[in-house]
Amino acid sequence: MDGILVERFNPIHWDWLVYMAMFVAGTAAGAYLVAAMLEAFGRGRSSLARTAHAVAFLVLILTPVFLTLDLGRPERFWHMVIQSKTLMPMFKPWSPMSLGSMLLIVFSGLTFISFVDMLVGRGLFAIGPWRRDHTIHGSRLGLIWTLIGAVLAVAVGAYSGVLLSVTNIPGWANSVLIGAVYVATSIRTGVAALLLVQTLRGKEDTDLIALHSAHVWLIVWWLVTMVAFIGTLGEASRFFLFGAPLIAMIAAVVLGGLVPLALHFMTHTRSAALASTLLILAGGLLVRYAIVMGPQLVH
Amino acid sequence: MAEPMGFFTDTTVCIGCKACEVACKQWNQLPATNGGRNTLSGDSYDNTRHLDGIHWRHVKFVEQFSPDRSQAAWQLMSDVCKHCVQAACLEVCPTGAIIRTEFDTVVIQADVCNGCRDCIAACPFDVIGIDERTNTAAKCTLCYDRMQNGMVPACAQACPTESIQFGAIKDLRVRADARVNQLHSEGKTAAYIYGKEDMLGGLNSFFLLMDKPEVYGLPVRPRLASVNNVPSWLFSTGSAIVAGVMGMLAFRKSRMDARARSGGQEDPG
Repeated sequence: MDGILVERFNPIHWDWLVYMAMFVAGTAAGAYLVAAMLEAFGRGRSSLARTAHAVAFLVLILTPVFLTLDLGRPERFWHMVIQSKTLMPMFKPWSPMSLGSMLLIVFSGLTFISFVDMLVGRGLFAIGPWRRDHTIHGSRLGLIWTLIGAVLAVAVGAYSGVLLSVTNIPGWANSVLIGAVYVATSIRTGVAALLLVQTLRGKEDTDLIALHSAHVWLIVWWLVTMVAFIGTLGEASRFFLFGAPLIAMIAAVVLGGLVPLALHFMTHTRSAALASTLLILAGGLLVRYAIVMGPQLVH
Repeated sequence: MAEPMGFFTDTTVCIGCKACEVACKQWNQLPATNGGRNTLSGDSYDNTRHLDGIHWRHVKFVEQFSPDRSQAAWQLMSDVCKHCVQAACLEVCPTGAIIRTEFDTVVIQADVCNGCRDCIAACPFDVIGIDERTNTAAKCTLCYDRMQNGMVPACAQACPTESIQFGAIKDLRVRADARVNQLHSEGKTAAYIYGKEDMLGGLNSFFLLMDKPEVYGLPVRPRLASVNNVPSWLFSTGSAIVAGVMGMLAFRKSRMDARARSGGQEDPG
């Protein structure tokens, strides 16, 4: 750890707006990955796929709101993507924040098109040849579209975790696994959001049952990434395992991981499914809180 | 491009007068802490304590007392932005607000910065802070405006003992090596240069120290934040692939089981 200054004085003040942004962006990315998977299985026009497109877009648009409000100068949010003095594009792919800003813009555009396609598919309106029986999703173009979207979704889910690792803040800088945890968390919360919406809508079809089964494995993988993250921190685990971040981390693992797993194997009632999805969503938020706030609160 | 310029700070001749701090504040019109209300640190004779958005020079008082306080040793060091040749802040800045000047120094443009604070997190020396007047990141500019007009930075000009020396980096390096040799010949073998070319490509503000870096609150081997970039992306991609394969296999199996149970009928969904 002698490459990283342990005692730091200048606060970063990345607070609730930041971990909320990470949470909603990750959930949107996870929902889109489900849509991509359904497309690959030829289910691009299914109820679940439509819900996934709606959730992905509507949740994602909260992200730039949180991130802009977090800036010291919110009116200069556009400096992230346009050079203020030359009006040329601003893009530094080696900077996770710059890359993330660009990813959010491109992914927002892509989810917006998928969202509109969902509305067209429901017959709410038509735009020229883009009509109910002639949508992007459910076609060959939809497969290519969601494949591109899936790559972007993974990058959106990961970038904020990578961003934390690409700092010199003790705790964050000591791990290269935060992005891996964030990806697993994103997929898990995205799936949970879809299961929640579909359960509340009273939907129960083979897609939903299959997604429940897949979710079990995603929870297991998330637990593996969490154990790997904490286990490889070594001495730096003290930046996360104290006070409120420790409680949040335990609550996330127990309530957002182990309890939903137990519920899955013990009961298949609607209320259990609802409770499980809500716990997973809460767990996803708690783990982001613990990771973002731990190293900032330690002093 | 002009010649690379910087500071050589010889801590052995610093007397802790804080003239550099005052000159920096005066020239750069930086406000006092807490609007000028007297604020004591309570545990040190140094009340500035650290560099931040409104303290671009800081004379560190390294106070080493024996437990009964009968013995005392003082190390004084006028700290400042290191203007790293490989600058982590410049690397991560997403707005292009942080630039490298023609003097090979690193400057934050306050009119471009949007206060994202990524540079604060990336700096290995904890130099950058927020200037609450503008809500943007701020640090030493090595008096870029003075240098453009052929003037010496305010702190170096004000230093009464020439602890802070300003000049061309190649000249300063020669001077620093000569000073280390002189100290060694006097038996002060602890003297060494912190910030040679093997440290982040060389610090354009480098120091002659008499103790370990950590005694002065400096990292032993400062690193670029970006060393974690590629491994983090690789592990993230790996995580996505594992989750994707597990999820898709489970989804496929469950759907096939359901279809088998329903005699091959596809659920319209």
